[in-house]
Amino acid sequence: MPITRRDMLLGGGLAGAAALARPALAQSAPIRLGWLAALTGPGSSAGIGFDRGVNFAVNEINAAGGAKGRKIELVTRDTQGDPTKCVNASVEMAQRLKVDAVWGPCNSGEALACTPILARAHVPQIHPCFVDTLIDTTKYPNAYRIACSNQQLGEASSKYVLEIMKVREIAIIGDTTGYGTSTVQAYAPTIKQMGGNIVYQALIEASQADLSADVIRMRDAGAKVIMPWSVNGGLLARLLNARAELGWDVPVVGHPALGSGEVKALLAKPANWEKVYLMGFRSCSFDEGGKLPQRTQNFVQRISGKINLADTSLWWVACGYDVANLIAKAVAESGGASADDIIKAWNGLTKYPGIYGDYTYTAQQHNGYPTDEIVLSAANSFRDGAFALAPGYG
Amino acid sequence: MLAAILATGLATGAVYALIGITYNVMFSASRVMSFTSGQLGMLGGVFGTVFALWLHLPVLAAFVLTLLACAGVGVVTEIVAVRPVLANLDKHLYVLSTLAAALLIQQLVAIKFSTEPQPFPRLLGLGAGVLDEKFWLPIVAGAAAIGILEHVQRRTLFGHAFLAIAEDSYAARALGLPEKRLRMASFAIAGAVGGLAGFAGGELMLSYVANGALWSFYGFVPVALGGLGNNRGAIIGGLALGVFQQAANFWLGGIFVSIATFVVFIAVLLAAPQGLFGTQAARRV
Repeated sequence: MPITRRDMLLGGGLAGAAALARPALAQSAPIRLGWLAALTGPGSSAGIGFDRGVNFAVNEINAAGGAKGRKIELVTRDTQGDPTKCVNASVEMAQRLKVDAVWGPCNSGEALACTPILARAHVPQIHPCFVDTLIDTTKYPNAYRIACSNQQLGEASSKYVLEIMKVREIAIIGDTTGYGTSTVQAYAPTIKQMGGNIVYQALIEASQADLSADVIRMRDAGAKVIMPWSVNGGLLARLLNARAELGWDVPVVGHPALGSGEVKALLAKPANWEKVYLMGFRSCSFDEGGKLPQRTQNFVQRISGKINLADTSLWWVACGYDVANLIAKAVAESGGASADDIIKAWNGLTKYPGIYGDYTYTAQQHNGYPTDEIVLSAANSFRDGAFALAPGYG
Repeated sequence: MLAAILATGLATGAVYALIGITYNVMFSASRVMSFTSGQLGMLGGVFGTVFALWLHLPVLAAFVLTLLACAGVGVVTEIVAVRPVLANLDKHLYVLSTLAAALLIQQLVAIKFSTEPQPFPRLLGLGAGVLDEKFWLPIVAGAAAIGILEHVQRRTLFGHAFLAIAEDSYAARALGLPEKRLRMASFAIAGAVGGLAGFAGGELMLSYVANGALWSFYGFVPVALGGLGNNRGAIIGGLALGVFQQAANFWLGGIFVSIATFVVFIAVLLAAPQGLFGTQAARRV
């Protein structure tokens, strides 16, 4: 069939219209936020908490008209806490789904596997994982941390023990997993640098049936505080039970798992939870009067009846909520949702007031959480997703 | 401190020994080393928690039901993972079939029960400190198990039939002994012994899905140390392993426990390949 002048004009007109429509479509297309969530399997409790927060925020933002008129579309993949599944989901999000940014994963093991992939694909990533090496603006220029780093946790816990409790003789233990081993190795020098005296340092097998002998050794070494670094509820509960059986009321200061329901269930008696303090966050802690900070209190009132806080941590929910708002803010400020737009907007954030914390990022510093927000909480004070501040914070 | 090491070492060692006996009982009638042994121990703890804590049954009822349930799992293992292999396939494929059954049990417990350690009920409420029941119950259970098994094997017709099957299954069948039924009975008894290990050790080692793989591993050591099929050897090997493990944990640190254990284990096997208490079997040539 011969192509007429009219056909040429029609074709040219359609092509021109398509070209003109593309930016308009892009301006109204939803912002795709990939969410690498461990929603099932071991370690899924944090993922479920983050999920409640990010979903609530996305619904809230979309109901208010979206970010600069663009809705946020949450693309969730359940990684089950498995690094292999996380890698597969990251590749899918970066290459096939072409998400605008990625939230997650929830644990450092997964993040160590997928962060290099997202860095190569130049997808902005924000995660709550603690391992220090996950943030490196040279290797992973598009990766941001919304929570604190292990280094910050170590400094905050040591500061509490040395400056508020005014105790110098410290027993530091970890389990024999990668986390326990690396944390003890990282924190012990920090404690020494800050003036502490490590009188006992050990790695204990998580399956160790009874910790009496270890606790006797800590006591005989002159420890005035025990700092355990493990996520294993069984090990932590055995430590607290052994401490109680020996009638030793030494304070225990350590990992947030010390306040978990698993530990509570395994305690020989509730009194074994006394003088046990876990790492927490001021924004999500009750003060001496039993009140949350005003900003958090307002948030809790907003989510009341919509999010169950009885079986999760408030900071997980608040953190997930802040992520969606950080994305929305980046799009609203930059006017676009390209990787460069989001990264540029985040790098310019100074004390952005979230619920979980005030975030500050620069091109050189992608650890955005303030260290002075990290506090110790009483392990036996859990109520509505939050703990009470440990003694000494005034 | 030494008392704490000994109490914990002997208690965990008794659990390992009972798992070793579970291996032995299954092996005696089938010549199969079933990797479900540790999982049966883990199930003893899990069923104990379910019956006593979740369903609030009296301790005695929970104990009996736990042994029955574990015996049932033992029988199912024989039907599903052992019998077809012995009947139709290369005999040594039982390694794969029992390993698959063990993984199946582990996954089911992880899905239906919990992936985290769960509390186990206080059984008798006796003792405190190093004399707490959590330390001596596994030892009492081990002594009771070995006593009953020895009595049955030496003093009853049923036990003699077992020994006959274990000695020479072809000759025993030729004499009219019901080999299949005896093999199934051996798996039921092994299931109950495994359940006893988990139930008696539950207060100390909790109801925990990860115990299964661990006990399959450490329960095999007393079998090799004590000599395959030798229950008394398994008891001594198990107790020695438990005490050695605790001592290594205490003096070398948790990270070196497994290394120290297996260095000694390999050294012993190199010196006495038939196990410390096993006898060199004569081979007809």
